[in-house]
Amino acid sequence: MTRNSIAFWTGATVFLVAVFVMTQVVGNQYPFFAGYVILQFIALAVAWSILGGYAGYVNFGTSAFFGVGVYAAVFLVKAFSAPLPLQILAGAAIGALMGFALGLLTLRMQGIFFSIATIALTIIIETTITNWRYVGGAAGIQIQRPAVTAPFDNYVQMLFFVQALLVVLAVAISRYIQNSWIGRGLQALRDDELAAECTGVPTLRLKLLACVISGALMCAVGAPTAMYLQYADPASAFNLNYSVTTLAMSLIGGTAHWSGPIIGAILLGTTQQLLTVTISSEINVLVLGLMLVLFVVGAPEGIIGLIRKLRDGRKEGEV
Amino acid sequence: MSKKVSKPGSISRRRLLATAGAALAATPLGVKLVQGQQTPIRIGMSMPQTGGLAGGGKASLLGIEIWRDDVNAKGGLLGGRKIELVVYDDKSSASETPAIYSKLIDVDKVDLLFAPYATVPTAPIMPMVKQRGLLLIGNFSFQVNSKVGHDMWFNNAPWGPADSWATSFLDIGQRAGGKSMALLAADQEFAQNLAKTAREVAAKRNLPIVFDQAYPPNTVEFSSIIRALKAAKPDIVYVASYPPDSAGILRAVNEIGIGDNVKVFGGGMVGLQFGAVMENMGSLLNGVVNYNTWLPEKSMYFEGTKEFFDKYTKRAVEAKIDPLGYYLAPFGYASGQLIEQAINAAGSLEQKALAKYLRENTHKTIVGSIAFSPDGERKETAVLQAQFRGVVDKNMEQFRSSGRQVILFPENLKSGELVAPFEAARK
Repeated sequence: MTRNSIAFWTGATVFLVAVFVMTQVVGNQYPFFAGYVILQFIALAVAWSILGGYAGYVNFGTSAFFGVGVYAAVFLVKAFSAPLPLQILAGAAIGALMGFALGLLTLRMQGIFFSIATIALTIIIETTITNWRYVGGAAGIQIQRPAVTAPFDNYVQMLFFVQALLVVLAVAISRYIQNSWIGRGLQALRDDELAAECTGVPTLRLKLLACVISGALMCAVGAPTAMYLQYADPASAFNLNYSVTTLAMSLIGGTAHWSGPIIGAILLGTTQQLLTVTISSEINVLVLGLMLVLFVVGAPEGIIGLIRKLRDGRKEGEV
Repeated sequence: MSKKVSKPGSISRRRLLATAGAALAATPLGVKLVQGQQTPIRIGMSMPQTGGLAGGGKASLLGIEIWRDDVNAKGGLLGGRKIELVVYDDKSSASETPAIYSKLIDVDKVDLLFAPYATVPTAPIMPMVKQRGLLLIGNFSFQVNSKVGHDMWFNNAPWGPADSWATSFLDIGQRAGGKSMALLAADQEFAQNLAKTAREVAAKRNLPIVFDQAYPPNTVEFSSIIRALKAAKPDIVYVASYPPDSAGILRAVNEIGIGDNVKVFGGGMVGLQFGAVMENMGSLLNGVVNYNTWLPEKSMYFEGTKEFFDKYTKRAVEAKIDPLGYYLAPFGYASGQLIEQAINAAGSLEQKALAKYLRENTHKTIVGSIAFSPDGERKETAVLQAQFRGVVDKNMEQFRSSGRQVILFPENLKSGELVAPFEAARK
């Protein structure tokens, strides 16, 4: 294990322990509700970045994967009263299959055409769910939470911890990909797919792998949402907002490094939660818009890019 | 020799203390300390102020704000405690409300809760308030408590029992000689709920459904659907639609016609209650029988109703929201009146006592008397079915006078008789 890895896993363990202690100590429920949403977006942004950042395939279908995760859980709860871990695993499995199908799309479509196809995917799946009466159809469905499992004494605290586990899983996978041959291959195909193919990079295999992993993670993140809201309706579950926000978080943070989406998601997610309970009107939409514009103009490679630029600049100054 | 000299403009310690004391007394905190019990009664809620439900949410909120100002002008409740509203924007989304209501309960520690406008944002908070044993005044959500079964939920909407909506419309249709019905519903939450109850009521009455079609949201072109509907030759056409499609459907009916056998047309078309939509549709509305919650007919004025609309009309212009505000705003005010009467009767903010009072009594409000059944919905439906008559194009003011929407149901509020068939009523 390299020194870098030891630092990473220590950090992840400290994070999980801190989250666990928080669920045992803090009595106020609000931090868990707000924190859950922020963690959910961190995991989504990191998962998005595996395909969108490393491979450069901009996916607008986050809401499709997320919504399928939600409805996979709804179906399992309604049909079999399945427990939460099973809901998440099933979500991940379905997400992987969907990711595989999406990966096949990349055979023929690149750039803007791929992005448009992913939006179409969202609409097709949403329409299907809207017409599926068993899971509530257009009218939505209310579901009841089962009793909470020890050592947690509140379901939301448990969901908060579960989402933290998903974040660590997503980040660990993303970090592994970046540092392995998969990451280097994806980077090569992002820079020039044809050249990569010619030099022996197995582009299709890599793209399929990226799509499967990214899709599985996004669906897994969506699954606990059914229990968080105790309600699901197609318009909320497949809200395009998930796609746009996730993309914005990754871009603001920077897609060149695994930590970029985390920084972006924490920054944007926290700002959104704060704005909701402070300004709380049309203005909060404006503030987010302005933030996006500022970052696109001022830091086109995200915060990570900005930090790198500043560091490089300083080194040059020293020389 | 030392002598204490106080420089001009400098402050002695005693004076500093006196000034600070006076300043403290003048601040809100100081006022609280001096007056003891006079902390405000804080009512927390989320309200859609952006997104698809924002138009309704803002009108509803203005209704509640007018109530707050009225109560505060009278000196507040519980011996002088003013009302303070804590409102957050839920962006019309179900995923925002759990965190917002947790903030209201755990951080802001509000005294009472109102629900957001509409079903979708309300659904996720129902289990939460039930678990914590909190009173919740509902705001126009539809059958949101039927599965949860919270006994401290009271919906301000006039819906009443779930099937009453379809029952009243089909009653009107069957009385006019209708023997079959067609059902046209948007694939969205509210419309599908209406369609479901309509099917059940029709089955109970052995009324054949000759046409049953759901269409995806955002459909704009309805001519093929209306042609197919016309070919089925129904007597009663029950439409459950949303604002953009309501307009599209009426335009298609206007172009293609609907056939002479149709006795009544409408029922559950959302959008035809809002000033801007009605002004836009103009004469296309004539003949349509549609649901509503409040209309400027003589039978609809109760104590305080006129005063409320005088205030609303002025403030709606400043707030740039629905200038008529019949649909939601008076019910927002009524939510306040419900809680006001409960607080006055209970003499405290104890949630169980307030809920008990609301459950067991009939309450007088600006939208009429309200009594609740055990599930927290109205005991009897007060949803109006009204027919548009003599509407002209591009005129908002016409809807302020009586006679433009004649109330056919319920009996005690009736202001006229149905004109049928639909084609005759359109002229």
